[in-house]
Amino acid sequence: MKTSRKPILPARDPAGLVRRAARHWQTVLVAVYALAAFSWAMPAVLFPPKAVIDGIVTRPFLLLGLWQGWDMFSPDPRTDDICVEMRYTDADGTVDRRMLTDMVAMDYVERWQKDRWRKYFNDHLRLDIERQLWQPFAEYAVRRLRMEGHDPVSIELVRWWRPSLPAVGPELRADVRLTPWNSYPFHRWGVPREWGR
Amino acid sequence: MKSPWAMITAGAGAFDRWVKDPVDPRPLAWFRCWFGLLSLVNLWLLWPDMSMWLGNDGVLPPVVHRDMVGGTRLSIFMLTGYSDMAIGLIRGLSLVGGLGLVLGVFPRCAAACVWLAAVSYAWRNMDILHSGDNLIRIGAFFLIFARSDGALSLSRGVSRWLFPRADPDPAAPYKPVPAWPQRILQLQLCIIYLAAGIWKTMGPTWRNGTAVGLVLQLGEFQRFPIPDFFLTPLMSQVFTYGTLVFELGFPILIWIPRLRLPVLLAGLVFHAGLDWVMNVQLFQWQITAYYLLWLKPRRS
Repeated sequence: MKTSRKPILPARDPAGLVRRAARHWQTVLVAVYALAAFSWAMPAVLFPPKAVIDGIVTRPFLLLGLWQGWDMFSPDPRTDDICVEMRYTDADGTVDRRMLTDMVAMDYVERWQKDRWRKYFNDHLRLDIERQLWQPFAEYAVRRLRMEGHDPVSIELVRWWRPSLPAVGPELRADVRLTPWNSYPFHRWGVPREWGR
Repeated sequence: MKSPWAMITAGAGAFDRWVKDPVDPRPLAWFRCWFGLLSLVNLWLLWPDMSMWLGNDGVLPPVVHRDMVGGTRLSIFMLTGYSDMAIGLIRGLSLVGGLGLVLGVFPRCAAACVWLAAVSYAWRNMDILHSGDNLIRIGAFFLIFARSDGALSLSRGVSRWLFPRADPDPAAPYKPVPAWPQRILQLQLCIIYLAAGIWKTMGPTWRNGTAVGLVLQLGEFQRFPIPDFFLTPLMSQVFTYGTLVFELGFPILIWIPRLRLPVLLAGLVFHAGLDWVMNVQLFQWQITAYYLLWLKPRRS
């Protein structure tokens, strides 16, 4: 006589699980991506699993260019007007200056085109923690100035700032405000005579 | 009353159907065209300064860049090394890819070109990137896997014109396509607003209603003139809280079919307003491409 024994608990079948997941691969992919992207974009203090999830997805996100951040003006917008200036002294002693990111002084098209200038100079080059960018920019500036026919012997980078007050009113707009600017030269380079020649 | 487990199972089943049921190809095609056009505008804006941002003699020479980057990232520079030839390749790929997307000619290859160009300049100089670059990289990546030439496609139009009998069902011009790339991009849009809203709730100026007033006074973002009436504490509160309500509300309300169109229209007004008052290049335009994925076309 034949007998059959049914298992009391369903057999664990990892291959079966994989097959089921494979049948629903699109759903799994969409759900996993959504969770990973959400975790990546969230502040750590408000999303405790972030450390674990980001640890898993960092490599594929960086590799494939899927990393992202959506925290502009967060948690608070800046409270300073900022711009960066480059001053140079020519071999004949002439001192000239170029504002790199005075966006208010630019016309509408130019300030739109140069939004990446604002990003690079105001958000990065200006900062002490990004001092590794200072000397390469000074060298770039010398190359450009020589191409224009100048012979710079020194380059100086200057940061400008002034507070923008929390109260609002038409007279406080950046283009009409009379608040005085502060400035600080944050990098100086005396160009060696033979440099780059 | 259903048990919690039954509700979870039903929810998972509905999500599964939402992801797997084929969809009308037109929203993806609209997205592809508008996205491609904006990628070309992005190239035009980036073009004159590419040597400065990405070149070996630019602001970020290889010796400095090497110390700044970590981890492996796919890019053209893996192929060329630190070479100015990469700039030409980025320009070429962006141009060919953007045109391919606009015209719907080999759109998957075109998307791959745009994606490769975008990840390459992002890798070479991360300090010039803004939110619009995120939208380009992510959108182009998932377009590689999408069947986005089901409508508005030059190559499809030409082949239908040349070989009308090759089409098995000429009465049904829009064959359904796999939904999952569109679904990912739809969820991506919700994640953008949700994350942006949540970040803002952490800031005191967003909570006390002064944040937008501060932003409107910053010279570096100032764009077109706005009426003086907008520059009052009351309007700052209206705009600040309005931004929070919109960003936190969008990811919820967009799922309600009757509210979808009003929510998208509110979003268009929101981004048009931001584009008027704030100088942030293409982000406000690029995000509208993602809106097209939420539209439901009329039956053909």
